[in-house]
Amino acid sequence: MRMKKFMNAPENLTAELLEGLVASHGDLIELGADNMVINRKLPGADRVTIVTQGGAGHEPALSGFVGEGMVDISVVGDIFAAPGPQACVDAIKLADKGKGVLYVVLNHAGDMLTGNLTMRQLEEYPEIKCVKVVTQEDVSNAPRSNSDDRRGLVGCIPTYKIAGAAAAEGKSLDEVAAIAQRFADNMATLAVAVRGATHPSTGAALADMGEDEMEIGMGQHGEGGGGRQPMKTADETADIMVQALLDDLSIEPGEKVMLILNGAGATTLMELFIIYRECEKYLESKGVEIVARFVGELLTVQEQAGFQMFMARMDEELLRYWDAPCLTPYLTKV
Amino acid sequence: MLLDLSAWRILLQAVADAWAENVERFSEIDSAYGDGDHGVTMGKIARLISREVGSPGATGETPGDATTIKQVLRRIGNGVMAIGGGSAGPLYGTLFLGLAAPLDPGAQATDAATLAAMIVGARAELSTITKARVGDKTMVDALAPAAEAAWEARGDGIVAVLGAAAQAAAEGADATANMIARFGRARSYGEQTVGTPDAGALSTSLLFKGLNDGLAKLGRA
Repeated sequence: MRMKKFMNAPENLTAELLEGLVASHGDLIELGADNMVINRKLPGADRVTIVTQGGAGHEPALSGFVGEGMVDISVVGDIFAAPGPQACVDAIKLADKGKGVLYVVLNHAGDMLTGNLTMRQLEEYPEIKCVKVVTQEDVSNAPRSNSDDRRGLVGCIPTYKIAGAAAAEGKSLDEVAAIAQRFADNMATLAVAVRGATHPSTGAALADMGEDEMEIGMGQHGEGGGGRQPMKTADETADIMVQALLDDLSIEPGEKVMLILNGAGATTLMELFIIYRECEKYLESKGVEIVARFVGELLTVQEQAGFQMFMARMDEELLRYWDAPCLTPYLTKV
Repeated sequence: MLLDLSAWRILLQAVADAWAENVERFSEIDSAYGDGDHGVTMGKIARLISREVGSPGATGETPGDATTIKQVLRRIGNGVMAIGGGSAGPLYGTLFLGLAAPLDPGAQATDAATLAAMIVGARAELSTITKARVGDKTMVDALAPAAEAAWEARGDGIVAVLGAAAQAAAEGADATANMIARFGRARSYGEQTVGTPDAGALSTSLLFKGLNDGLAKLGRA
């Protein structure tokens, strides 16, 4: 199958997309060495700073959230591939303003290897305080009791927001890490796909799905999740997924949640709005209130059709951090 | 027989060739039960090795300026680690640093026992960053038997060490076809992965095939 994507040489994808991202948001971010995307206000930061890492090809994630109130440096690997540990060590050294660095890593094999090697190499710099927080919230591939096996999906983005706001408020590194971890411990994501994407570097199909099939639980590189089934309506799909997230988080009537519908790349906002409307109704029927929400694209999987549904248990403090101002290329709050 | 720096350059170039020739096969396997980029990464690693050890005649590039075997392997290890190739970068970077670990900094040549110790060193170093064991359908299924076979053959000469390692690695990689993936992205597919070998085990078995091919080339030269 021939790939229809607007691109030049496959080996230049990451470099060219970062060049364009930074050129189109030059007031907020700049490109550093080794594919680092850096918050332009970082030099003057007198607070805990935030570093993350991950593969490219998921735009606007992760680098579209570099800026005030979220991420200070994002270290980008190649398409769907983690960067190496040396670049992350360099980024953490660059980010540290004497108040320590929160290092957010998504739970994927390559990212975790790089994360662990980075922390090991940082032991040579005892003057730099760094705490690693791992986001691992995919309910489809392991039970909550075995959360180390859960993949990190879109939950990294609200985690950046919460942690970034806590850092901006002047919290210490231990406090920022504890807040980020509390949020991460209370979040869950379930993905559904109806059509797979192609790998932009190779043109290979990432998932081969039947015309009338959908798969609940598909990961963000097209990896299977086991829930392949006949295509359902928007309302049926929404109800199944909301209930799975409520069950996973043990949300009780009267509780407040954040709900994010994250389009995977080829699912329309029309569909996401139809789904969202049903999520609100379903949650209302369960006595659960949505106090924070986002519908749109935060972390995509090329032209995969489908979406990730994210839910998090909220309290007053977490809500305050979610609502706090931020200014990044793809999320702004005033 | 001893392997000196110029012999190591030929062996490592043969590894790069073996990987470069199989780029599409790696991606094909990885697309079925992963994200399809193993070929891309192995191609990048192969080019990095070629740049480090390539002779002007073969690649049109001059070899790196490393003057010892340990330096060459460490430069490759650190370079691969930084390549940004998902899991494969840190894993193969660690493997090459593990190969270098048992060598004396000034060593100008390696004998069979040292070579076997290097392969065992690669296995040991890898175990510091991954908990994968034999049977988990990963590169360890090729590397661990290769290390055992190399160690057993350490008294029988370099040809025997690399021959045994290559054969054990190939058998180990073949055996992954019958396994259920327990690590990496393929893990999400569980039992569906039975019938397809592991892409990482295959690339590791080709590492040893490449070393062995390089040795044969050396014998002919």
